[in-house]
Amino acid sequence: MKLKKVLALGMAAMMTLSMVGCGSDGTADAPAADTTQDQAPAADDSADDAAAADSTEAEEPAADDSAEAPADDAAAGGVPGYLDITLGEDYTDLTATIKFLHCRTDREEDGTIADLVAKFNETYPNITVETEGVTDYAEDALLRLSTGDWGDIMLIPAIDTKELSTYFQPLGDLDAMSEQLNFVNAWSYDNVCYGIPMWGNAQGVVYNKAVFEAAGITDLPKTPDEFIADLQLIKDNTDAIPLYTNYAAGWTMGAWDAYMGVVAEGDDTFMNQKFAHTAEPFKDKGDGTGAYALYKILYDAVANGLIEDDYTTTDWEGCKGMINRGEIGTMVLGSWAFSQMVEAGDHGDDIGYMPFPMTVGGTQYVAAGGDYNYGINVNASDDNKTAALVFVKWLVEESGWNVSEGTYATSKNGENPTMYSAFDGCTMLSDLPAIAGEEDLLGEINAESELSFNSGGDAKVQRIVEAAATGSESYDDIMADWTAAWNDAQESLGIEVTY
Amino acid sequence: MTATTRSAKPAGRTFGQWLKSRDGQKVLVMIAFMIIPLALLFTFTYLPFAEMFGFSFYDMKYIGTRKFVGMKNYIKVFQRDDCFGALKLSLYYMAGSVVQLVLALYLATILSFKVKGGSIFKGFMFFPFLVNGIAIGFIFKFFYTRGFVFDTVLQWCGFQLDNLPYWLRDKRINNISLVATSVWRYFGQNMVLFIGAIMSVDSELYEAAMLDGANKFQQFKYIIMPSIKTIITLNVILSITGSLSAFEPPYVITDGANGTGTYFVVMNEIAHTQQKVGLASAMAIVLLLIIFAATILQKLFFKYVFKNAEDEDLNAAAKRDKKLAKLAARKAGR
Repeated sequence: MKLKKVLALGMAAMMTLSMVGCGSDGTADAPAADTTQDQAPAADDSADDAAAADSTEAEEPAADDSAEAPADDAAAGGVPGYLDITLGEDYTDLTATIKFLHCRTDREEDGTIADLVAKFNETYPNITVETEGVTDYAEDALLRLSTGDWGDIMLIPAIDTKELSTYFQPLGDLDAMSEQLNFVNAWSYDNVCYGIPMWGNAQGVVYNKAVFEAAGITDLPKTPDEFIADLQLIKDNTDAIPLYTNYAAGWTMGAWDAYMGVVAEGDDTFMNQKFAHTAEPFKDKGDGTGAYALYKILYDAVANGLIEDDYTTTDWEGCKGMINRGEIGTMVLGSWAFSQMVEAGDHGDDIGYMPFPMTVGGTQYVAAGGDYNYGINVNASDDNKTAALVFVKWLVEESGWNVSEGTYATSKNGENPTMYSAFDGCTMLSDLPAIAGEEDLLGEINAESELSFNSGGDAKVQRIVEAAATGSESYDDIMADWTAAWNDAQESLGIEVTY
Repeated sequence: MTATTRSAKPAGRTFGQWLKSRDGQKVLVMIAFMIIPLALLFTFTYLPFAEMFGFSFYDMKYIGTRKFVGMKNYIKVFQRDDCFGALKLSLYYMAGSVVQLVLALYLATILSFKVKGGSIFKGFMFFPFLVNGIAIGFIFKFFYTRGFVFDTVLQWCGFQLDNLPYWLRDKRINNISLVATSVWRYFGQNMVLFIGAIMSVDSELYEAAMLDGANKFQQFKYIIMPSIKTIITLNVILSITGSLSAFEPPYVITDGANGTGTYFVVMNEIAHTQQKVGLASAMAIVLLLIIFAATILQKLFFKYVFKNAEDEDLNAAAKRDKKLAKLAARKAGR
């Protein structure tokens, strides 16, 4: 009886206490997040004074207050910058266990990542790398990030750049790193770099060479009109689906946004600097360029029946095999998709990759940009941060992962795959970062207008397909609607319209 | 609670003594048992809800600064076309739930009489409820794909593929297709609940009714229906609430595209893609109020339909007597 009484009381006390614990945790988090806003990371010098880093301090208290951490750590020089590490020489005897959170569940399953880790361990035997592939990465990673409990390396999800220092370790001075690496400017703030791209993607069109040949297409299309004409040829001369939209998967529709700045405007400042300030970004320019002409391709293709029969039941996994077998002519996807299409069947040689069919002032532009960026947890211990940085640098520069994925190397001296031969003669540009002080502008106007360019705005592109298929809206009505939403957002956010 | 009142104790007993007394022990045990479920309920239901209620007054993303905006989010919910336009889709799901309940009640009645292989039928019809909703979504995605399962089956029945509609593409019927999946999933569960209730009806009533010459339909109308009205009310309320918050079929099968985005899907899009957490929270609160209103209306409606809930049996008996008397009179008159 006594014992039971004690047990019951103890249980009751425990529950009450744990409740109190929960309550206070929740309230403590919010203000902490608020205070970080104004903290400019004073980490410019992280690269320089990291020479003292060899004496990696043993176990700094892991979970210090996130708000102050980045500036202090960098200044303290406990962790080297990205450029300070010489692979194969430094830190080969470092012992640590790090965890890598990523989105490539397919590579997790087929053992590619395990092989990479094994190869890494040949040089760095004492660094244990645990990996976890997350299926719905874009959303889950954000949630995991806000809990703080996610490991040491993560692919940076869509956050505001001013939040970077709250979560991620500063890796070095942006200018210095840009000299050696491509595409590093995506996740930077105040000239400090927080993320290293896994690799770069070029934005073009995946197509099946055999289908093009059977349709009688000899030259790759260079303008929207030529492209539509070629799709019509495919429809007339073969049984293949000219353009497979992948409407049902959703994100594959949002992929059209990637062609907006560099490809459609021929201007690497458009996307991050001018777009938010443009009064009529969706205006018909009349010369087959610009956002208007870009989405018009999709509208025309659907309206002319040049897409799959039932777009609402498209199957992303299935489409890979279909294009491989020659049942699909083209798909508008980034270069990352190329290797998946090649591997999906026996006719990998038929898969080709071409620049997007749009010519601005006589030149075909190709947008190339970094894929997901590796970011390192700012709250990890110094040993873990260093080990994580070594692993990231090795992945980027020595693993050769980008070649097997068919993507551009992050490192400027890196090896590139051969698939890019069709891109000879095109001008390759990467979107320039926003002007200082306007880093968050595009994100804000995207959210406010709910058009979400390049950030999950799939519904707006799906709407084009629906409108074209059912004739419910004309293309000009949709563009007028977008312009209205864009202008309303500019007004409510007080953005100056200068273009 | 009598324990506590009675333990407003004979004066002079100290707290310690009271705690050791039988009354004190009773209270202690009660608290000890209650605190765990209450703590869980509070931590995982009321606390998050209160937080969300707070969010609905802010302009905020998941991370970053919050800005207090007062009722602005609520005003936006009522101004936006997509929020309330999405509620129109709930009408499809409500109509579906009526079909679902009628079907469930019909089958439950049949199966509650002696039927060969009744258990097997029950099992088959209940089975979809056990399957995960996401899995059902994927099953039906392929089911409705052009030229796949459903079209093939219909072609066996003599339909031509060219005459068949596109089940998910055609905006006139795609919501009906989605509702059908939810009916398929839930009618088995409703049916099992109905059967359970029907089983509890005293079988002597059927015998008596049979002796009186009542046919099956009359048995259903005068014995079964009144006896299981509580369960019917419950199922209707649950189905209507469920149709207001339909999510899985449109989210998994069509991703809310092509005019199938229900209120929940729109809310999910706003919260996760557009990251307008405050607005989405306000939408959730508005939906809660709508569900409250719908539930209260239904309560009133059923009060009207099953008048005098307590002495219903007497009432029904009186009615039955009256009807029988009328019948007899008519017969005699003839």
